Amino acid sequence: MSTPLTLTPARTPDGAVLLTAVGEIDMSNAAALATALTDTEDAATVTVDLTAVEYIDSAGLAALFPHIDRLRLVSNSLLAPVLSIAGLDDITTIPDQQ
Amino acid sequence: MDREEPDAGAEVFAGGGEVGRDLMAVAWDQTPLGPPAQWPQSLRTAVSILLSSRFPMWMAWGPQLTFFCNAAYRDDTLGSKYPWALGRPASEVWAEIWDDIGPRILSVLATGHATWDQGLLLFLERSGYREETYHTFSYSPLRDDDGDLVGMLCVVSEDTVRVIGERRMATLRDLGSDPTVVRTEEQALAFAGAQLERNQHDLPFTLTYLFDPSGSRLAGATGIIDGHPVADPARWPTEAVMRGESELVPLTGDLPSGDWHEPPTEALLVPLLQQGGIPYGFLVAGLNRFRALDDVYRGFVDLVAGHIAAAIGSARSYQAQQRRAEELAELDRAKTAFFSNISHEFRTPLTLIMGPVEELRGRPDITDGGVRAELDVIHRNGLRLGKLVTTLLDFSRIEAGRMQARFEPLDLGATTAELASVFRSAIERAELSFEVDCPPLPGVYLDRGLWEKIVLNLLSNALKFTFTGGVRVSVRPEGDDAVVTVADTGVGVPEPEMPKLFERFHRIENARSRSNEGSGIGLALVKELVELHGGTITATSVLGAGTTFTIRLRAGAGHLPPESVTTEAGAVTVSSTADPFVEEALRWLPGGPEEPIPDRSEKPATVLIADDNADMRDYLTRLLRSAGHEVQAVPDGQAALEAARLRNPDLIVSDVMMPRLDGLQLVAALRADSRTAGTPVLLLSARAGQEASIEGLEAGADDYLVKPFSSAELLARVRANVELSRLRNHHARWRTAMIDSLQEAFFVCDEDGAVIEINSTFASVLGYGPEGLPYAPVHPWWPDRESDPEGFQQVQDAFGLLMDQSAGNYTIPVKHRDGHKLWVAAAFNQVEDPDTGRRAVVGTFRDVTAEHYAVQRESALAALSVRLSQAESVPGALTGVLPVLEELWQATRVYAVVFNGGADPTVFTTEPEARWDALSERRRRALTTLRDKPLLTPVAEQAGGAGIALEHPDGAMVLWVELAEKRPFTEQDQTLLALLAGHLGQGLHRIHQIDQQRETALALQRAILGPAQLPAGFAVRYSPATRPLKVGGDWYDTVTLADGRIGIVVGDCVGHGLRAATVMGQLRSACRALLLQNTDPAQTLTALDRFAAQLPGAMCATVFCGVLDPASGELTYASAGHPPAVVTHADGATDLLDQGRSRPLGVRAETERPEAHYTVPVRATLLLYTDGLVERRRQPLTTGIQRAATAVQQARSAALEDLATVVMDSMAPDSGYDDDVALLLYRHPGPLEVEFPAEATRLATVRSMLRGWLARCGVDSTTTQNVLVAAGEACANAIEHGHRALPGGLIRLRAAATAHDLHLTITDTGAWKTPQPAADPHRGRGMTLMRALMSEVTVTTGAAGTIVGLQTRIPR
Repeated sequence: MSTPLTLTPARTPDGAVLLTAVGEIDMSNAAALATALTDTEDAATVTVDLTAVEYIDSAGLAALFPHIDRLRLVSNSLLAPVLSIAGLDDITTIPDQQ
Repeated sequence: MDREEPDAGAEVFAGGGEVGRDLMAVAWDQTPLGPPAQWPQSLRTAVSILLSSRFPMWMAWGPQLTFFCNAAYRDDTLGSKYPWALGRPASEVWAEIWDDIGPRILSVLATGHATWDQGLLLFLERSGYREETYHTFSYSPLRDDDGDLVGMLCVVSEDTVRVIGERRMATLRDLGSDPTVVRTEEQALAFAGAQLERNQHDLPFTLTYLFDPSGSRLAGATGIIDGHPVADPARWPTEAVMRGESELVPLTGDLPSGDWHEPPTEALLVPLLQQGGIPYGFLVAGLNRFRALDDVYRGFVDLVAGHIAAAIGSARSYQAQQRRAEELAELDRAKTAFFSNISHEFRTPLTLIMGPVEELRGRPDITDGGVRAELDVIHRNGLRLGKLVTTLLDFSRIEAGRMQARFEPLDLGATTAELASVFRSAIERAELSFEVDCPPLPGVYLDRGLWEKIVLNLLSNALKFTFTGGVRVSVRPEGDDAVVTVADTGVGVPEPEMPKLFERFHRIENARSRSNEGSGIGLALVKELVELHGGTITATSVLGAGTTFTIRLRAGAGHLPPESVTTEAGAVTVSSTADPFVEEALRWLPGGPEEPIPDRSEKPATVLIADDNADMRDYLTRLLRSAGHEVQAVPDGQAALEAARLRNPDLIVSDVMMPRLDGLQLVAALRADSRTAGTPVLLLSARAGQEASIEGLEAGADDYLVKPFSSAELLARVRANVELSRLRNHHARWRTAMIDSLQEAFFVCDEDGAVIEINSTFASVLGYGPEGLPYAPVHPWWPDRESDPEGFQQVQDAFGLLMDQSAGNYTIPVKHRDGHKLWVAAAFNQVEDPDTGRRAVVGTFRDVTAEHYAVQRESALAALSVRLSQAESVPGALTGVLPVLEELWQATRVYAVVFNGGADPTVFTTEPEARWDALSERRRRALTTLRDKPLLTPVAEQAGGAGIALEHPDGAMVLWVELAEKRPFTEQDQTLLALLAGHLGQGLHRIHQIDQQRETALALQRAILGPAQLPAGFAVRYSPATRPLKVGGDWYDTVTLADGRIGIVVGDCVGHGLRAATVMGQLRSACRALLLQNTDPAQTLTALDRFAAQLPGAMCATVFCGVLDPASGELTYASAGHPPAVVTHADGATDLLDQGRSRPLGVRAETERPEAHYTVPVRATLLLYTDGLVERRRQPLTTGIQRAATAVQQARSAALEDLATVVMDSMAPDSGYDDDVALLLYRHPGPLEVEFPAEATRLATVRSMLRGWLARCGVDSTTTQNVLVAAGEACANAIEHGHRALPGGLIRLRAAATAHDLHLTITDTGAWKTPQPAADPHRGRGMTLMRALMSEVTVTTGAAGTIVGLQTRIPR
């Protein structure tokens, strides 16, 4: 049984791509994230919303790195340390928690 | 566990005999020490050593210094305080001397340093009065099991008898030591007084009274001021002492106290006994109130009085003797005068007889043959009588100095030949040859008449004793001298008689001769007459072959008194003097029967003669031997001095002029030496005159005789001097006899430390006799400086003491002349020589070798026993014992080598590094050789060392003591080594047995406690009691119940040993079963009560029983008399689980057992234990519990197993647990342990379990996330790398919390590849993440797999 993860791609009115992830990302399902991102290669900018992700490890990060030049991340405070260590601070925004 | 059977503990007194039984009877529970069963091991050991020792010992232990002693101490010192003293505070037992000994004991307890006191004066009240006693003792510290100073051991020997005995002996010795001539009674009493004055311990004061016709008068006093009322003679009853009996008189009032602080309460009146008369007087001796008047004390006072009486008697008899000597001299003068007169008186009637007889014989008309024959008889006997009278008169004249010689120059040859010729017919008639060889020899001064007498006497003598052969007379010049010899071939003179040959009235008994007639004065007269001529006469003789007399005369007249010399030479004629001689000789020729000669009886004396002139020496020897004296002759003063020191003669007769040491120097040297100071000396000198004799007497000579002297005069002087000296030396001889009779060796040292006098015991103890005196330091009996530096130093220190202190004593090693070592205990006093005023040291010593080695053996054995008793294992025992041996022998190193069958023997040594292959080849060979020697037989090596083989539990063992260079290993050392080795062997064996028993019991215990199938989150420990090693009845248990809850039990059965362990096993099983059934602590305990009632030994066990929900931390518990559990929160706060308490198992109670509830907080630690962990003597249990709580609190960050170890170690006393201990720890929640196949799809599930566990641990969300990511990375690595080649392998994750930290391990069974970030960048990133998120990451790769360790701190 793979780790539960749903990936929902969307297009914003300005043509940017928004990929919303829900669940956990680890080596069992990181390939799915990689595929989803590769599918958006035409877009100049892709924003990955990780707000509803409870877990991401280096396998998940490895899926993000090939797209670093056009990537924007929206995250939550739980994932912040990992993203920060991976050097993704500058492309990450963390919305205020409700 | 500490509660034992009631009579346990009494075995500590088992070896103590009667004292042990009395000690057992002490109500110990009323003392601070409590019942013996509860005593610490150290106290038990101390008491055992004390009781088993034959040396007097006592000890004090605990806060009140509770008193113990052994049988020897009881007998020697304690007296009537026994058995009252046992178990009492030492300050109460020795209240009267506490001021003296209290500070010493406190100092021992404060500093841990032993004290040493020698001969300390203590006033004890043990015999009903304050008693003067002396003790030599040492206080050593005693430590309890924790090493604290809690008491002291005193090894003591009482010296009272010795100290007091020596003191009294010194007084008696001093009394007998007066080397001066006691002239008067006053001097004698003054001397005695001076000696008594010095011992005011035994004689605080004395009064000496003498009886005189008017009553008693005070003649001497000591220790008392003049005119003190107590000195009034009327004060004392005299009836008893008049009768010669002692009397004890009580005293009151203001009296002198002598050397004490309180005056005597009694005085002893002792008569001064006079032999055969009423006492001279009496002595009042004030008595030392601190000693009982026992037989010894009374005897001492009697001896003192006896001495004073003897001194008085001696002084009085000396004066009487002096008077008698004067009277004798007067008598002698009268006798000489009488003799002289009577001789003259004889001549007149003789002349009137001889004249008519001559006339009748000349008458031709008397023809009757019978008448003629009668006339011849009258004539002959008249001549003989005349000759006798003339001789006697000559003697008288010589003796009175009135012999008027007239010396004229004569031809000696012609004169002598002429005299010889008158004897020719007589000699030839006796059918003897007669040879006269007298060539002319003019110019020799002779008194013609006297010379005739000389020659005729000699010829007469020769004829008388010669039966075959002949007589030869010769004259010849020899240098300036003229020598006349008269030789015969007669019967000769027996060797012993030779010296007496010229003695007056001496006749040789049983000699064959022609006549028994003879006065025995012929040769004596010859000698006197020759000497009158200034010549000498000597005789040589061979028994049966003949005798030769040799007269030696000096030429000229220079040696003769001028007034007696004339230069006129008279005609050579023979006077009528010759007739009687020839007539007499002719009368012998038919021969006649012999007459017996009466024996002489003399009182012999030993006389030492010193003269460099051999002739004179021989003459004196002969003369004195002839008078019956025993004579030794030496050629000079030095030889005389040496001879006198070796054997003191009754009299020394010495020439003045001698080589090496002359007569005056000899006298001075004799007087300077106390041994010979009293020996009388008679000086002989050729120097006449008053001045010379005064010089001699001033030098200390007793008499002075001018040469030439008559033999009679010399004999008389010798006799007088010997008798006088016998009288006078009464004291000296008494003193010598007393000193020689001492059991102890006696010596006197001069100011420089040279030994100048010794007694016979000294010589027998050390082998150095009086012949070697003086012995200058360094004395020959000192230990060798090279081979025994320690002994040498000891003796040097003692010698310093001897020279500097006025009195003291010491014990030192010394070397006998034959080389063997011995120990002597010496006591000494400084005295002043009353004559010279110089300082001298007088001392005594005795051989204490046996005692010394006994003490050494005892203390070495005691030290060994203590070390053995402290040891917990065989190697530990060896490590503990070797330093004892090293210290005992001051060894450089001590080895114990165990040949246990392994490749290399095991080596123990006093040095830190010890390996067999590090020893020298030579040493290894020596040790191996020693192994094969007979057991317990010491082998000493020449070059400083000794070894012994003994049995070790693992095989043969060799003990080797390596000594400093050259230091000998004596026979005593060998004995001691054998003794200690034997003891050690037994000790090792015992420890080994105990060790094995313990191992067995421990194995059983561990088997009962079961395999540690503990639920996660628990840690347990069990430790047996370590000293003495024993298991007990403590247990722990965990039971997983059906509902997932966990039953927790910790319990403690009464007692120790296998029995308790068995009971424990049954209780534990029962409890386990009941818990499974009831799942309720209180009910379980209630059910267990019923079980305990059925099980002997289970009563009174204590049990803590709880049921824990590991998920929520909820705990239900009940305690049956068990100490409370302790919960330590993550923040360090502690809770005591002291609710739910009730009585121990099997003890009836009315109420139900209560139950309590508690929730264990997250990351808190629950501690359950038995009382062995926390119970300490003299501490409340709460203190121990607090300490345990603190131990947990301080280590709460440690992993649970580590925490258990820390708690067990930190709570253990230095010497190990007294009691067994069971311990159980639980930390909430228990660790997470997950095992899963190495598949990525498993990760989410594992993550979820870990997340849940972290939540139970109360970990915050950020930390949780960090841990999840780090653990996830580790698991991913394991899946990707560890099991790439081995799909389907398992990965194990374990997570545990401490108070502040989280510890995780992820273990796989594969091998990681070395991370290669370049090739696989995102895996490298995983590692980076782990390191960034965790505070510590470790990766350990081995053949079996890889372990990743993660650790992080939990924020508060």
